[in-house]
Amino acid sequence: MADGRLARALPSLLAVTAALGACFVALAAALGDAGLAAEAFGQMALGGFGDVPRWLSTGDAAAVLRPLGESAGKASVLLLAGLSVAVAFQVGLFNIGAQGQLLWGGLAAAVVGAAVQLPPALHLPVCLLAAAAAGAAWALLPTALKLRRGVHEVISTIMLNWVAVALVENWLVVGPLQGPAGAGTAEVHPSAVMPRLLGESSRLNLGLPLSLAAAAAVAAWLLRTTHGLETRAVGRGQEAARAAGLPVEGRTWTAMAVAGALAGLAGAVLVLGSELRYPGRLAAPYGFDGIAMALIGGNHPLGVAASSLLFGALRAGGTRMQLLGVHRGFPELIQGLALLFVAARLGWAWLLLRRKETPRA
Amino acid sequence: MLELLEALLASTLDYAPALVFAALGATLSERAGVVSLHVEGLMRTGAFVAAVAALSLPTPLAVCVGMAAAAAVAGVHALLSLRLRADQVISGMALNLVALSLFSFLLEARFSPTGTPPIAQLSRHGLPALEGVPLLRALNGHTALTWLALALPFALSFLLYRTAWGLRVRAVGEAPAAVATLGVSVAGLRAACVVGGGLLAGLGGAVLSTSTLDRFEQHMPAGLGFMALAAMVFGRWSPLGAFGAAVFFAAGNALRVGLASSAPGVLAVVPQGVLMALPYALTLGVLAVQGGRGQAPAALGQPYDPEHR
Repeated sequence: MADGRLARALPSLLAVTAALGACFVALAAALGDAGLAAEAFGQMALGGFGDVPRWLSTGDAAAVLRPLGESAGKASVLLLAGLSVAVAFQVGLFNIGAQGQLLWGGLAAAVVGAAVQLPPALHLPVCLLAAAAAGAAWALLPTALKLRRGVHEVISTIMLNWVAVALVENWLVVGPLQGPAGAGTAEVHPSAVMPRLLGESSRLNLGLPLSLAAAAAVAAWLLRTTHGLETRAVGRGQEAARAAGLPVEGRTWTAMAVAGALAGLAGAVLVLGSELRYPGRLAAPYGFDGIAMALIGGNHPLGVAASSLLFGALRAGGTRMQLLGVHRGFPELIQGLALLFVAARLGWAWLLLRRKETPRA
Repeated sequence: MLELLEALLASTLDYAPALVFAALGATLSERAGVVSLHVEGLMRTGAFVAAVAALSLPTPLAVCVGMAAAAAVAGVHALLSLRLRADQVISGMALNLVALSLFSFLLEARFSPTGTPPIAQLSRHGLPALEGVPLLRALNGHTALTWLALALPFALSFLLYRTAWGLRVRAVGEAPAAVATLGVSVAGLRAACVVGGGLLAGLGGAVLSTSTLDRFEQHMPAGLGFMALAAMVFGRWSPLGAFGAAVFFAAGNALRVGLASSAPGVLAVVPQGVLMALPYALTLGVLAVQGGRGQAPAALGQPYDPEHR
């Protein structure tokens, strides 16, 4: 069993390693100095996983906790977005729309966080629920188009992403929902902010445990319940599932609602964890990064968690590469290449199978 | 009123070429049966490489270099999706992510975080004879690429619908097995269309950095590649349809920008963001009304395996 899991994770590990290697070679070539490139990668590691040498030599725990807090912030958003894409994949749909669902989730969290007065123990959960509901609602549009009108979800979710960007960022947050501080909504009440777990020494907040709990819950649902098994059966083969008497449409609705809710939560973690309001433009396109996380993680909730933790750390560490004049977007290049290698990997498997079969034929 | 229309037409003709070329590129590749979500990445490649090449080469030549670079990226898509049987949607999105991060990295490493230094724009031309004609004089003062964008859709339409090669391309997107029985290489023909689509989408990107603006900017093409996909779907996967949709979207954009400066009162009633959502919402509406796969080629996205029938 353990061997089987390792064998399944191996191609992704190889792809990530290959991407790291390729980017190292490219950086060394671009800088004309392999030593400098190695130093930049070292800085990325120190910035992502914590400056352990400094902690050991000076006893300054913040040298480790602060970078880990930054990594956790990125990892939790990546993880929720990745889970969104992975859950949709499990039911056989390609959720390119995580980005749009994330924007609506972030907006709902910001609005409920700023406009509603509630005791702290209640306010944050209500904000999260609102974000999940907003994301789920936006995900149900392409689902309805798919199930009722047969419109392919790849095209419809791409279109809905840009509808969301236009409506949220070019209208709502610069129009009816604009706060006093220019483009963007008003700041949320302190009772809606994700509490920090380690005080002032680190920005580590509730987002990371929340996203890890989401991964565990999704894993339990998909792998340990009948409902989850049926969902995966629909994803593996709709006709077979229908022939077996499974409620194909019902499982598709549920899975897409969960996918949208997860992406909405990613937006909420972004807004309530670091931005504290919906800004004029909501950060990086984490919804698209979610596609990379899902595929590098093999669409398995725990695989998505592993790849999100890794790339969250690398991307947080990227800011430290700037010390050596390397653009902080460098880790995203590693991530893009890793996804490209994973995409190609599915093909390699096909080629190898073919080679094996040919002599017999 | 006439002047307003002329300004609107001129602004449409400035905005449309990038969208037209990219939509034609996507159409060519999808008609051959290969999904083209990587158009955004191709445009970014064309825009960046053309701008950088123009720093040391004459700009027209630099545009060609940008096209070649985008064609090379499209070649990677062809390799992944045709030779290695990768999922075409995944491969396309992966290339988008790579183009986004790679050119951000190169831009910051070589120039500045926001954009390249200014370059010599493509020269603008006009027919003296049109100068006195109302409305039509808006055609003057554009680069040669604008004129090309008005002619190329008809050329591509002729190629696809009036030549034997075009028939094969359309057939390979509908029923590849039938084309294979003619002794035509399905993968070869598809690869040619994907790379050709890359040239066109790269040209669309190069327009942005050499005609619309005079430099590459960090956010280029800012989603235009996806709007080109919308134009392709809205135009029912035909070159002239995609052209019409692209011009329609461009005119809508020109109208919105024009309203923002000349009649802001209108935008208080219909907000800009709602207008900006329209191209995508309309495309969704058309798909919802048509139902099913719309007019998409039957074998779109399906790898061709000669050993399976």
